[in-house]
Amino acid sequence: MEVGLSAFVIFFAAIFTNNILLTNFLGMCSFLAISREVNSSLGLGLAVIFVMTWTSALNYLVYYYLLVPSNLTQFRYIAFIIVIAAFVQLVEMIIERYSPVLYVVLGVFLPLITVNCAILGVCLFMIIRDYNFLSSIAYGAGGGIGWTLAIVAMGGIRQKLANAKIPKPLEGPGITLIIAGLMALAFMGFSGMIQIQ
Amino acid sequence: MKKIRRFSIYYMFLLTLIFTVVVTAVYEIHVDRIEVNEKIKLQKIILQVLDVPVPEGAEDREVLDIFNKRVKSKDVEGNTIYIATSENGESVEGYAIGLQGPGFWGPVYGMMGISPQLDRVLGIAFYKHSETPGLGGRITEFWFIDQFKGKKIGDIQGEQKPFFRLKSPGTAKASNEVDAITGATGTSRAVERLINKDLRRSLPLLAQLR
Amino acid sequence: MAKLTSQAIIIKGLWTDNPVFRQILGICSALAVTNLMVNTLIMGLSLIFVTALSNVTVSILRNITPTRIRMMVQTLIIASYVIIVDILLKAYLPDISEALGAYVGLIITNCIIMGRCEAFARQNSVWPSFVDGIASGVGYALVLLAVAFFRETAGFGSVFGLPVIPSEWTRWTIMVMPPGAFFMLGVIIWVVRSIGDKELKKDETTS
Repeated sequence: MEVGLSAFVIFFAAIFTNNILLTNFLGMCSFLAISREVNSSLGLGLAVIFVMTWTSALNYLVYYYLLVPSNLTQFRYIAFIIVIAAFVQLVEMIIERYSPVLYVVLGVFLPLITVNCAILGVCLFMIIRDYNFLSSIAYGAGGGIGWTLAIVAMGGIRQKLANAKIPKPLEGPGITLIIAGLMALAFMGFSGMIQIQ
Repeated sequence: MKKIRRFSIYYMFLLTLIFTVVVTAVYEIHVDRIEVNEKIKLQKIILQVLDVPVPEGAEDREVLDIFNKRVKSKDVEGNTIYIATSENGESVEGYAIGLQGPGFWGPVYGMMGISPQLDRVLGIAFYKHSETPGLGGRITEFWFIDQFKGKKIGDIQGEQKPFFRLKSPGTAKASNEVDAITGATGTSRAVERLINKDLRRSLPLLAQLR
Repeated sequence: MAKLTSQAIIIKGLWTDNPVFRQILGICSALAVTNLMVNTLIMGLSLIFVTALSNVTVSILRNITPTRIRMMVQTLIIASYVIIVDILLKAYLPDISEALGAYVGLIITNCIIMGRCEAFARQNSVWPSFVDGIASGVGYALVLLAVAFFRETAGFGSVFGLPVIPSEWTRWTIMVMPPGAFFMLGVIIWVVRSIGDKELKKDETTS
């Protein structure tokens, strides 16, 4: 069956036209919590890119080479989450062992990622949309980059807003959501760039 | 410490076993129903696009009977074509072809019914897609697919013109134009593309069958 | 931890500690499925089901679950109930299952459920945990239905698919697209917090 979307288009789309956060609403909880400033946003974002790309690849293999042949596709939710949790745990152990510096920068974000619905969401979407292996990795990488783009931009904006007078009930999540709405609106402008063949 | 470790492992194992059994049980109870749902859904779609009447609220059994009586499937060059026959099985009353192609989000699957003379659309319907609910997902809604019913299929085989165009709602004028979905430009364009592609591919195959 | 009456638990779940606008949890699905009220309703019911049963199960097992592995156990429990919901939807409501798509699976990562298991069910007995699960779930569902109500009426002119706004009125389609979701939720949080803060201020001045 021919999907027709090349991996490159999927990669590009996941960042701009179908940004997984601004269009698919994936990863909102950590987005709202961490996006106060650019540095922590960037740190979390990089961790997300790394984990998302790898887990897309791993979960693709798990799904098509383990679950489908043994007719156990209804367990994909459990299988994917186990893979994600195990991968994050493994990465955390490796970073802690081999690069204390990196651990200080990224380490604290890794546990947050396991419950980040964006990671699981990307894995579920790639199955629903029938992506092949290359497209799945492209989607994972692009998704991570798109998510990072959104959270870093939001961090920059909120840093600038730190001195602005915002009505108290709107502070925090309220204003962040409205800014996110404006960003989503802006990103919609990208949709003319992709011609899906 | 070791005791707790060992207990943890046994505990986890036992719990996983229990839940796996429960989930599998729920699955086994329902898997047949899910499969039947899929099959009847496709049959209902085929009957719908072929304009074969199915009584409102028909039971699955009834749909199956009507389908088996009125529709035959035939394989032409790797494509499955469904042929509707009249009540007495004598004459052909229409052909149904599969529609398939990339949508905006993921693959879109549908069926199109074509008149026996290959000159009119009997109906179209979409049965599987990943488009945005409420936006691109509206391709399954009655108002959208009803536009195609009775539309003339142009005799343009070999030319580069499209069979059908989706235009901004309210601007569709020519006989081969229908309204697209507001706010779902990507899906509308993708659907236009796949309808035209599959018509172009299937019409020669249907001509062979006649 | 003081024993809370069922009524106190319900009020907490629905208003004072509402998972969506107070604790800011479960936002992903709050934005994704709320462009149609019927999808929102089914999503809400699914979440109530999973939260309540997960809370109950965690509570039953709370004294024998080793602390070190409790996160894994909770995830296993939640994921199992979500799979069950997914199967039931596919079997009995296939069209809605198709419309909700991946978001049913994402109930697993919905921070509300894990949050309630960790914060409440682990330390409380079965019945209060059950009530808490229901209350949090209903609190979530009500907020989502409110968002969906505005999005569907403004964007499609319908409520639960029934047209309520005459077709001459131009639809605000943006409301059913992502930006509309963000704006709507932000505004609702704004409104509810204003009311909540006024109540708090009143309590402070009278007490």
